[in-house]
Amino acid sequence: MKKHAITLTVNGEERDLIVPSNRTLLDALRDDLGYTDTKYGCGTGECGACTILVDGMTTINGCLTLAATMNGKSITTAAGLARNGHLHPVQEAFIENDAIQCGFCTPGMVLKTISLLDENPRPTEAEIRHGLEGNICRCTGYTKIVEAVQDASRRITGSNVSAIGE
Amino acid sequence: MSDLTVVGKRVERVDVRAKVTGGAVYAADVQMAGMLYGKIVRCYDYAHARVTELDLSKAAKCKGVIKVLGPKDVTQKEYNGSVLDMMVSSDMRGILGDIDDQSIFTTHVKHYGDAIAAVIATSEEAAERAAEKIIVTYEELPVYLTAEAARQSDARQFRPEKPGNLAFQLPEMAFPDNAYAWGEVDKSFEEADIIVEDTFYVPKQKQCQMEPGAYIALYDDQERLNCWTSTQMPKLVQKKLANLFELPMTRVRINATVIGGGFGARLGMVLEPETCALAMAVPGRPVKVLSTREEDWVTSPSRHPGKYWMKMGFKKDGTPVACDAKFENYKGAYYMDASGTAFTTGAWLGGMYKFDSLRYRGESYYTNQSVCGAFRGYGNPQTNFVMEQMVDRGCAALGVDPIEWRKKWHKTIGDDGWCIGVPYNSCALDECLDRAAKAIGWTEKRAKYKNQTGTIRRGIGVSVMNHTSGAMPMLLEHTVCDALLHQDATVTLNLACSDMGQGSHTTLRQVAAETLGFPYADVHIAAGDTDAAGFDIGAHASRTLYVGGGAVKQACEDVRKQIFDRAALELGEAVGNLYMEDKVIHVKGASNKSISVQTIADQGVNNFMNPENGELIGQPGQIQGYASFFPPHNAPPFGASIAEVEVDMETGEVKVIELVNAHDVGRAIHPGIVEGQLDGGAQQGLGMALTEETYYDEKGICLNNSFTDYKMLGPSDMPKITNILVENPDPTGPFGAKGVGEAGIVPPVGATANAIFNAIGIQILEAPITPEKILEALAEKD
Repeated sequence: MKKHAITLTVNGEERDLIVPSNRTLLDALRDDLGYTDTKYGCGTGECGACTILVDGMTTINGCLTLAATMNGKSITTAAGLARNGHLHPVQEAFIENDAIQCGFCTPGMVLKTISLLDENPRPTEAEIRHGLEGNICRCTGYTKIVEAVQDASRRITGSNVSAIGE
Repeated sequence: MSDLTVVGKRVERVDVRAKVTGGAVYAADVQMAGMLYGKIVRCYDYAHARVTELDLSKAAKCKGVIKVLGPKDVTQKEYNGSVLDMMVSSDMRGILGDIDDQSIFTTHVKHYGDAIAAVIATSEEAAERAAEKIIVTYEELPVYLTAEAARQSDARQFRPEKPGNLAFQLPEMAFPDNAYAWGEVDKSFEEADIIVEDTFYVPKQKQCQMEPGAYIALYDDQERLNCWTSTQMPKLVQKKLANLFELPMTRVRINATVIGGGFGARLGMVLEPETCALAMAVPGRPVKVLSTREEDWVTSPSRHPGKYWMKMGFKKDGTPVACDAKFENYKGAYYMDASGTAFTTGAWLGGMYKFDSLRYRGESYYTNQSVCGAFRGYGNPQTNFVMEQMVDRGCAALGVDPIEWRKKWHKTIGDDGWCIGVPYNSCALDECLDRAAKAIGWTEKRAKYKNQTGTIRRGIGVSVMNHTSGAMPMLLEHTVCDALLHQDATVTLNLACSDMGQGSHTTLRQVAAETLGFPYADVHIAAGDTDAAGFDIGAHASRTLYVGGGAVKQACEDVRKQIFDRAALELGEAVGNLYMEDKVIHVKGASNKSISVQTIADQGVNNFMNPENGELIGQPGQIQGYASFFPPHNAPPFGASIAEVEVDMETGEVKVIELVNAHDVGRAIHPGIVEGQLDGGAQQGLGMALTEETYYDEKGICLNNSFTDYKMLGPSDMPKITNILVENPDPTGPFGAKGVGEAGIVPPVGATANAIFNAIGIQILEAPITPEKILEALAEKD
């Protein structure tokens, strides 16, 4: 299998690695670089547990992305959201609204929310629900997640959403 | 109870900071030096076949392969992946007839995905590539997917000790006439003016917990078997593995990792036996086995599907005279929880209404489906789908309001609960029904939705349930808890209760802090290391807060008593004259006499003696509380749901518009956690009613073991949910709490079915109620 030398910037840190053509970004992050905050839930892009931010605010599924295609990209995972010891307002909103149970979907759900609010800082409830369709949660029935996103929308001003993933 | 300072508060959960940053370590996240990877070879070509040839040689030569193991290379002992057989007394186990019928690797494939062999390699990819080189030749056997097929006289027998492929029926010795019963049912039916009867089908629902199975095992230099797993039942899995590998319990250690959802899928062993067998083949090297989603689907247990027949009789005045029922479940390939679910499905039925007489028969039949076991509710959602539709059919025939009938005839305090002979000691179901009805506008809507015409029709339906907090007296509920007072007057609790995400470690910590009179921040829950923690039956039956909380409370009361005893000696006062405020113990009416808990704790460990004269200072020794707790009851939770639906008569589509859940929770130790359980339960309950089913083709090949093909309700499918917490403290629960982990899934099932009945005037007898079934029923009616 052909191997590729790539450089990824993960949570602001530049990392060089060599990956075979078939290595997914999810496996590269988890196994090669130790970013186990990105989760494997299905491997087929259905559940969103491996959601990550690329070059700012675009979300992708790590399980459907080949690492070799990501050379030079900047990636943000849930582990990279805190600033100066403070959690991201979306993370705070998830905590305060009891939107976290087993937590397995949470990193992906938080990153999806950040992307969603970047695109639409004041979404309606229907827009939030539609926006989260690609991220499965089996614990919360989505009620408190939707409340957390609404709360995050109130907390966030445009500038501190887009500060993430710079 | 307004003096509670921690209980009842929405404190920050113990685990959420780690979870929101991704720092929480689930089993798949554990990395170790020298890690090897195991890949299990499964049969995905047949659901029933005999392995006639197994060639491991090519795989063994592949790059990176350390070892390849077939059926003969591992222990030949059989096991039962469920832990149910260890939750009952030995005598009861014998009566129930539970058997060990699973092998680590098999030569007789009994379901799609059965395990044949495994590869151990230096990377996951190397293991996968080598696994593809294992050549298996099969002889195809006839496939039996239903009870009806499996019990045919010419059907092949799954187990010689279970003739007719009847894995379980209620045993004559404990249940005369193989029935869970009271009264004389046949005679009672003679008194009935109205009789309703039908046969239903309940589906094979999958837990779909977000974290697929992941396991690591290491047989270490001390010849100890270590297993990292997100099991719900660390202590019982420890014992099961000790039995299987014939090791003393001191040489088996479970390291319980953060659990990415359970809902019953981890109630027992899933791939722990396989992973441990691999590790024992390569001593000194950790072996990691990761399930794919598709693999987890067919190896972890599902909800028991099957045929559910029920007949009810009523007098003209509404009196429920008789109920007769039979649940024949399609058990799957292995025994697992064959006895448990077949029993409890009827127990929930028996616990609900005041029928003059009742008879329930539960039978589990082996089939060539993947295994069934525990799933949130443990038979209760199945019963709810059937029982509540039958009650509404009865109410329609009687011309009575379904809520009024339920209020009049549900069981309550003093009536036998789900276990005959154990009466209910608390019940606030009437208040649940009243408040739910008011919240959704029941009376107005029931009137409004009569005689609808047009394409879109609305309907509103109700359902009620009883459940349990732990399974006393059927199962031996028990939790051991240590509470250690540190020198700085903080407390660490050591116990084996697991937190699947339901928030039990948070609520247990609240119970501890409240009992001790300490701030929430001063308590830590250490859990999950079976070397350190005493017995705990595991997270099942909505019992962790009720039983684990009882143990925590008792251990903390022990700590508090020891603190007060020492303070009394130090202050020269009787304990009765003392009180604690902000962790300082004062003498009533003497503001100058006090001693802090900090001083007592510090003296006990660091400053108990004057080194110059050898005199004791204070009371020496570290304070440690201990409880080996057995709950006195099962604190029954009750609940009601009312669902409002919209049915499209042309497409058959059902949209749930609104759902109100009102639950008798005893006391909400953490209201946010309780609401979360009801919300999440509702998503699963609505899913069971409307969309969730595992499909097989006629050869037994599973058709939808993935999120792509198995439909769960997504964020846009979920209705507006209102949760009403009715707090009527249970006399036996910690601070009055009842279990709430399973309750939320149950009544949305029946409420949705009844709302559809209300909208279209037809009852759909098979769950999930898909558009196809609705259209078919509408066409039949015309």
